[in-house]
Amino acid sequence: MANETKKVITLMCERSVDVSGVLGADGSVSGVDGLHVIKIPCSGMAQPLMIEAALKQGASGVVVCGCQIGDCYYREGNKMIRERLLGNRPPMLKKATDRRRVLALWLSRPQKDRFLAETKEFVKFCAELPAPEPAAPAAKPTPKPAAVASAPGETEVKKPESEKTPAEKAEKAITEAKVIDAAEPKVAGEVVDPAKVDNTKTVVPASEDSNDKDVKVVVDTPPIPEGRGSLDTTDGTSSETKSE
Amino acid sequence: MSAYHQLIKSGNQLFLAFEDITNKIMTSKYNPLYYHGALPQFYLWVLYLSGLLLFAYYIPTVDNAYLSKGLINAWTSVEYINDKIPFGAVVRGIHRYAGDAMVITILLHAIRVWFTDRYRQYRWLQWFSGIVLFLMVLFIGQTGYYLVWDERSLALTRMTVSAFEGLPLVGSFLKGWFLNGDTISNYTMSNYLFIHIGLSFSLLFGLWIHYVRMTRPVMTPPPAINYVLMALVLAFTFIFPITSGKMASLNGLPPNGFEMDWFFLAPYALLNSVPVGMYWLLMVGLTVGVCLLPMPWAFLIKQEPVHAAEVVLNKCVGCNLCYLDCPYQAIEMVPAPANSRFKLLATVMPYRCSGCGVCVGACAFDAIDLPDIPDADVQAQIKKIMEAK
Repeated sequence: MANETKKVITLMCERSVDVSGVLGADGSVSGVDGLHVIKIPCSGMAQPLMIEAALKQGASGVVVCGCQIGDCYYREGNKMIRERLLGNRPPMLKKATDRRRVLALWLSRPQKDRFLAETKEFVKFCAELPAPEPAAPAAKPTPKPAAVASAPGETEVKKPESEKTPAEKAEKAITEAKVIDAAEPKVAGEVVDPAKVDNTKTVVPASEDSNDKDVKVVVDTPPIPEGRGSLDTTDGTSSETKSE
Repeated sequence: MSAYHQLIKSGNQLFLAFEDITNKIMTSKYNPLYYHGALPQFYLWVLYLSGLLLFAYYIPTVDNAYLSKGLINAWTSVEYINDKIPFGAVVRGIHRYAGDAMVITILLHAIRVWFTDRYRQYRWLQWFSGIVLFLMVLFIGQTGYYLVWDERSLALTRMTVSAFEGLPLVGSFLKGWFLNGDTISNYTMSNYLFIHIGLSFSLLFGLWIHYVRMTRPVMTPPPAINYVLMALVLAFTFIFPITSGKMASLNGLPPNGFEMDWFFLAPYALLNSVPVGMYWLLMVGLTVGVCLLPMPWAFLIKQEPVHAAEVVLNKCVGCNLCYLDCPYQAIEMVPAPANSRFKLLATVMPYRCSGCGVCVGACAFDAIDLPDIPDADVQAQIKKIMEAK
């Protein structure tokens, strides 16, 4: 029972690995137990929401499979989803999701063997991961333990070991951040020193500064006469050359 | 499956196999096949720069332009660049071989785009402008051959004039434009130089049209590839140095043949073997035929229509994310209707949409959908798989 429920969902680009030979009608892949494929037109269509939903519903892992980076048929789809998974592009994977359970593969059409090998390993890896649902208890923290503790005792014992540490760390980090935030205005309020505030917080651009102190250049030359002017009455040089 | 589809399919498989090898050698990050559009663009910059250096010493005349002791014309100025200017021969070689390389990379780009089926439908403008750009590049390259003013240049000029004369109605006008007068004169050379440089810069306008429907076009290969491309050109420059033929003489016997350069002068080989009328028919027919390749009605090819993405109007919050991520500039942000809570509303231009669904992935509000595969459908599939047993 335990092995059967552990499913890995693959969000696969239609144009990446050609799995038509091993793909069942219901999306299962022959040769890799527990792997299910959902085809989408481009890996760029995969929403982080979909990945989170799959994990929330009890999938032990999610694979995103797109074409080779640089070779998206639609130009940029695989780059987009990669950046979203890495957290560099706006609708990104929530930080609370267990990154160990998400695998991205960038494979071209003939790389079926590589796909099967990688996913096989990943399914095995996900099955061995301790907590079956890391996201669920974090979302609903308090009410569960009393009610559930009776039925699946073994899994409940395992959960806290793996989860408490990151959760506690996160809480600590949040509290620390709050402390810092709270501390700053107090310090600023106590020490009312305008010079210090200026040095630390606002940086005056050098150019602005120097502009103010710029020495004005005073031009002290006679104005240029309009028109040609008279040739004879200038310096005398022209008349000299004429005479010579 | 028709023969055409079979050809495309086998071409695609060929590229996939080739890609696999190149990926193994240089990883996908440095695979030149993933920058095929940026390769000619790189060579274009090389050509601009080397051309600028040559322009400094080139004199576009047939005979003495400026009074001096010896003969000074286009040919002698090219010889001067070649022999007297430090690295002049190298710059000349770079200019010539970068041109050849540009034609090769453009052909690679076009063939790859064709075989990987990336030229149709929402990409027809890129294909069309690409053909026009390629013709411009060919003509610019040919004018480069006239500028050297050796015997080959004279032969090419005469062949071009005879080709223009063969055209009805516009023939005499084109001849006059091409020679900048009735005969070959100093004005002819300055016209060649103007065509060569002026048309080169109008390539930039064509490239703007080529890129305008693409968000973030890939224009620069990684530096490592640039070094290799430059090294290839330099290698050819030193191994096979460029030399001019004999100086063209307008009074002597006409040259009875010239050294062929297949990258730029292939049309002249055609012109040499068929009558003039036939030549123009073939050239225009070929160009129009290639331009019409993305139009399915022209070749009776069946293709599935694109199902453009659709915005769910009451869900869109106007956050710009789909607009920023769309690879084809198909999404436009318009002011939201007056009763909306938000300022902007996304709208899809269906003629630009490829139906790839990147916007679906970009939307955190489920406000944009592909009509054939809605994201709710994917969610339902996930649910179905998870609930089965």
